[in-house]
Amino acid sequence: MNFIKRAWLNTSAKWGRTALLTLVTSAILIFVLAGLLISNAANKATEQAKRSVGSTLTLSANREKAFKKMQASATSSSSSSRPKLTMTPVKLSDAKKIAQNKNISDYNVTVNSSVNAKSFDAVSTTSASPMGNKMGGSGSSTNGDITVTGVSSTNLVSSFQSKSSKITSGRGLTTADAGTNNTVIESELASQDNLKVGDTITVKNPSNSKKTYKLKIVGIYKASSISSTTMMGNDPSNTIYTSYTFANTVKGSKYANTADDASYQTVKKSMSTVSGFANKIVWLVALAGTIILALIVILMVRERRYEIGVLLSLGESRLKIIGQFFAELVIVLVVSLVIAGAGGQLVGNKLGQQLVSSAQTTQTSSSQTTGNQPGSRGEAPGGNRGGAAGGHGPMGSSPTATQKQKATKTKLETKVNATELMELGGFGLSIMFIAVLIGSFGILRLEPKKVLIDD
Amino acid sequence: MTVMLTTKDLTYWYENSDNPLFQNVNLQFEPGKLYAIVGKSGSGKTTFLSLLAGLDQPKAGDILYEGTPLKRIGLTNYRRHDVSVVFQAYNLFTYMSPLNNLMTAMAITNSTHQGNKQYATEILASVGIAQADITRNVTHLSGGQQQRVAIARTMACDAPLVVADEPTGNLDEQNTQSIIKQFQQLAHQQGKCVILVTHEPDVAKQCDQQIQLVNHKFSVV
Repeated sequence: MNFIKRAWLNTSAKWGRTALLTLVTSAILIFVLAGLLISNAANKATEQAKRSVGSTLTLSANREKAFKKMQASATSSSSSSRPKLTMTPVKLSDAKKIAQNKNISDYNVTVNSSVNAKSFDAVSTTSASPMGNKMGGSGSSTNGDITVTGVSSTNLVSSFQSKSSKITSGRGLTTADAGTNNTVIESELASQDNLKVGDTITVKNPSNSKKTYKLKIVGIYKASSISSTTMMGNDPSNTIYTSYTFANTVKGSKYANTADDASYQTVKKSMSTVSGFANKIVWLVALAGTIILALIVILMVRERRYEIGVLLSLGESRLKIIGQFFAELVIVLVVSLVIAGAGGQLVGNKLGQQLVSSAQTTQTSSSQTTGNQPGSRGEAPGGNRGGAAGGHGPMGSSPTATQKQKATKTKLETKVNATELMELGGFGLSIMFIAVLIGSFGILRLEPKKVLIDD
Repeated sequence: MTVMLTTKDLTYWYENSDNPLFQNVNLQFEPGKLYAIVGKSGSGKTTFLSLLAGLDQPKAGDILYEGTPLKRIGLTNYRRHDVSVVFQAYNLFTYMSPLNNLMTAMAITNSTHQGNKQYATEILASVGIAQADITRNVTHLSGGQQQRVAIARTMACDAPLVVADEPTGNLDEQNTQSIIKQFQQLAHQQGKCVILVTHEPDVAKQCDQQIQLVNHKFSVV
C-alpha cells in the first residue's frame, strides 16, 4: 500500500497543482451532478404526477365491435329483417371489481340520458332547438329537452375538477346518492323556473310520457363556460346531474366511464423533455470531462517521467505506478465530491427550474395550438367512445386550464442524496480511470533507461 | 574468488547505428570491491551501466547475477532486490523529505528494515545529513546533500550490488571526496559490489579497480 502513501505525499506536497485539479474536477462534477439531479428529479416528478394527477380508466361498451357484429349478422342473415345494433353494456359489477385494484383511487360511473321537463320549463335557445331532434342517433332513440348526466360523484366530473362548473348552492352528488332521485341543476334553469335547493321537480320519460319521475334538488351549479350545446342539441343549462342509477333507470343499462389522463400526459411530456436534456448534459459533460482530465493527466504524467523512472529503477511495478496516479486523483475526487455536492444542488436547482419553465412554455403553447383543432379540445381520450349519446355535454369543456396550472406548479425537487453522490463518485472514478490509463500509456511502456538516462 | 556479476559476450548497439557500441564484453565483478568504469563522453559507459543495473536489455549476450541470467530473474525483480542505482541527477522523489525517500525505497524493495524509521534516520545520519534536514523537502538541500541522500537510499535498500552513474559529476571537490568515502565504506565495510561510471581520473584512482572503455573495447587497468 506504499503507492497510496506516495499518492498522499504527492498530493499534499504539490498543493497548488492539487487545488487546480480539484477546481477543474469540481467544475466537471458539478455539471454532471446537476444533470443527474435534474434527470432524477424529472423522473421523480413524472412518478409523482402519475400518483397525484393520475389518469382515468375508461371502461365502455365497444361500439366498433358492436357495429362489426351488426354488419356480420346482416350479411349472414337470410331473413330480410333489419339488423340491430346491440351494445353490450358494461357491467357495473365488472367496473367495481376493477375499481378494487389498489392503483385505482376513484371511479366515476357516467350514464347519459335525457328526459322531458314536466313541472318546470326547460331553458330554450333559438340556436339550440333546431338541432334538438337531429342529434343523438336514429330509430328508437328519442331525446328529451333535459339532458341527464348520471354520475357517481359530481366531484369526479372533469368540468367540476377544472372548476368550469361550480356548486353555487347546496351540494354536489356523492356516491351516497346512488339509488336516490337527488339532482343538481344549472343555475340558469333554477333562476328561470324559480327553483332552489330542497325543491322537487318532475320529469317525463321521453319514450313513454306516462312515466314520470320526481327529482329532489340537492344542489345548484353554475357552468362558467356555457358556449356550446350538448350533443343532444339541448341548451347547456338544461343539463342536470343525477346519480347514475337514476339515469340508468331512465335509459336502460347503457353506461360508460370517463377517462382523463391528459394532465398526466402534459406533466409527463414536459418532464421527459427536461429528463432528456439532463441526460444529454450528463453525457456531454462526462465526455468533455474525460477529455479535459485525460489531457491534464497526460501533462501531469509527462512532467513526472523522472519520478516514474526512479520508481521503475527501484523495481516498482507499473500497475502500482498507475495505482499511485489513480489514488492521487481519487483524493482529488473526494474533495471535489464535497464541493460538487454543495455546488451541484445550487446549479441543479437553477438550471432545473429554467428548464422546466421553458419546457412547460413549449408544452402549453403546443396544447393551445392543438386545443383549437376539432376533436382535441382537451376532452378525455376515449371519453365519448361509450356510445351513449350526450358525451360530456357542457361538463366536457376543456380541462386544459387545470392541466396548465398543474404543469406550471410542477417543480423539480433537486436534492442531493447518498445515491446521487455515489452515482457521481462512480462517474468520477470511471472518468479518472480512463484519464489515467490514457495519460500513463505513453510513459509506462518506456524502459527506465530511456526515461532516466537517454533524455 | 566469489563472482557477483558476470557479463558474457555482452553486445549492444543503437537502433539507428551500424556499428555496435561494444561487442562480446566478458567481465566479472566481485563483492566488497569498488570498480570504476572510465572512458570518454559518448563512449558507452552509461549504457553499459544501465545494462548492469537492469534498466535496459542487451542486444546480444547475457548478464549473470550470481550465476543466473537476468532474463531468468526478471528485470523488475532484479532491480527490486539485487541492484541499487545512484544517478548523476540524484533522481530523488522531489515531493518527499530525505526520510520519506528512504522509507519509500525500503517499502518498494521489500527491505528487511521496511517501515523502520529509526534505521532510516541512522543511515541518513551516517552519510552526514543533519537531524534538522531529514524531514525537510529534498529540494531544499544542496546538491552534495541530495547525492548523499541518494547514497543513503541505496544503503537502506538491502541490494548487494550498487551502480552509480557519474555520482560526483555535479559536486565540488569536498563533496566529491565525501561521496567517494561513502562508496568505499559500502564496498569495504558492507561487502557490496559498487560499480561507478566516471570520467574524472581522480575519482577513478580511488577505486579498487578501473575498467577502461576505449574504441568500443573494455580493458581492465
